[in-house]
Amino acid sequence: MKSPSDVAFSALQQTALHTAALLVPSAERQEWTFEWVSELWHVRRSFARIDETFSLESQGEITRFCLGAFADALCVRHQAVKPTDRHAHMHGSAAQTLLWLSVAFLICLFIASFLPGVEAENEAAQFQISPNALLIAEATDDSANPSISAGLYLDWKSTHQRYFQDLAFYHVTRETAQTGSERISWNVARSSTNLFALLGLPLMHASNDDSGLPSVILSHDAWIRSFAGNPEVPGRILRIGHANVRIAGIAPAGAWRLPGSPDVWLLQPDAQIASDVPARTPGYLFAQLSPRGQDAAQRSGMGISARNLEDLLIDLSGTSLTVPVEGPWNLSAFALFLALLALPAVSSVSLGETHLTPHRASFRETLRRFLFLAAKFGLIAGIALFASYDIAYCRTSSYSGGAECLQLIACFAICLTGFRWTLADQRKRCPVCLRRVTNPASVGLASRTFLGWNGIEMICMGGHTLLHVPAQPTSWFSDQRWLYLDSSWQFLFADTVIY
Amino acid sequence: MVAEAKLSHTAAMILQAISAGYVYGFSIMEMTGLPSGTVYPAMRRLERDDLIRSQWERQSIADAEQRPPRKYYKITTTGRATLESSRKRYPLLERLIPAEEASSR
Repeated sequence: MKSPSDVAFSALQQTALHTAALLVPSAERQEWTFEWVSELWHVRRSFARIDETFSLESQGEITRFCLGAFADALCVRHQAVKPTDRHAHMHGSAAQTLLWLSVAFLICLFIASFLPGVEAENEAAQFQISPNALLIAEATDDSANPSISAGLYLDWKSTHQRYFQDLAFYHVTRETAQTGSERISWNVARSSTNLFALLGLPLMHASNDDSGLPSVILSHDAWIRSFAGNPEVPGRILRIGHANVRIAGIAPAGAWRLPGSPDVWLLQPDAQIASDVPARTPGYLFAQLSPRGQDAAQRSGMGISARNLEDLLIDLSGTSLTVPVEGPWNLSAFALFLALLALPAVSSVSLGETHLTPHRASFRETLRRFLFLAAKFGLIAGIALFASYDIAYCRTSSYSGGAECLQLIACFAICLTGFRWTLADQRKRCPVCLRRVTNPASVGLASRTFLGWNGIEMICMGGHTLLHVPAQPTSWFSDQRWLYLDSSWQFLFADTVIY
Repeated sequence: MVAEAKLSHTAAMILQAISAGYVYGFSIMEMTGLPSGTVYPAMRRLERDDLIRSQWERQSIADAEQRPPRKYYKITTTGRATLESSRKRYPLLERLIPAEEASSR
């Protein structure tokens, strides 16, 4: 028969165990509780052998045993959250550095994949205006201003041309467009139907027309701005001015050079241009050089004389619209090359290797060290590529020369800074385990340089090396030196867990 | 230089006790005089680092003796090597818990 105090203590002990069990992760709770309940049974039996009636002292001992379950439960919980003390091993390690660089690389890549300007730059490099296409303008005018009248274009188009295979024209006006419920003010270019064929620019997401409605081509910029780059847009019906039109495709980003900054090109046959656009309205004229025209242009340049509608002789100039777009890879390769050239000017390229020590690194250690260095260089170059994209195109959705220039500068700056850090980091890595040396200690006095060296001493926490870095390079101690520690130092290092 | 697990004196004592034949928590507590809040967490960590291995007693054996089954601990090969280096570190370890004193289950 159990005494009331025995029952009370037993209940207290059981409660302590089951309360502690709440701290244990649910996956391990059942087994943990089972082990402690079993141990408690054996503890109680052990005390019962000595003290059959369970004195207060025995009950106190058993209760203390049960309270120890809280420490054990916390330990199990801690192990479940952090199965091994990886952080301590990872701290300053090569794996940790590569992990952080990889994370930075993936973040930059992720951001770049959502920037429409990045895709625009790729397209601008891929699809360029044909080198035989010229913008024809009056020689006295800036070619950015419209100077050729619609009447002159129609006149020339109807007559045989010696130097030009084909002519195209557009005239830009500000008009209101309605996309669904939204009304937008756009630069609408009333254009001849052959414009894009003449410029050699293929349309993106082209949609065949069988509705009989006039076709419009959206500029890449307007597509991103007004339709969020939706590839389903071609085929939709819009209202421009008082007429319904159908989107036939998207102009590639390579069309950014076309003058007048049109948001949309409304393709019209020449007869309709003749009726819609007054004859004296100035616009932009494009011509495709014939083989004879190409020869003539090579011989005597792009100066042309022609007669206008009043039969007066006017001087015209032909401007090529082809601008070399380097594209992201060439640009980054150039920035990388420049950064490598500039690197010796901003940092020592020495890796801090020393030949004064009798220790010779094994082939495996050397290979591992250089692979780590190469991986860091590679990741920095990748980060520079995509981070420069992010910087250049975070505020603009279309390709431009300014954005390309910003990309080049950003890529160069990141590469140079990153490479400088890479070399500095490598010099502070233990040649054996590639961990960063830590615990800098100042050694010696600057006033006693003549008698001994002074500088900083750092240690590898793996217990492999000591690094001596002179504060003032002298003729006998100019570079950092590694001291390889032998096994007699081992007792100082707690590389693995002590508990 | 090969890094080897270094044990505190307490952990080394517990490992020595297991090696000496004290194969469950309470017997280790009795042998070492350490409280349960020290012994059981230390055994968890030793098991995590593969220095010891645990095994539940068969239910049939416990049923025959009319008691709940116990969880027994056994030293592993790695644990034996670590214990060997700990003995050099703590030369009195073997005298504190000699193997011949180990009680049978």
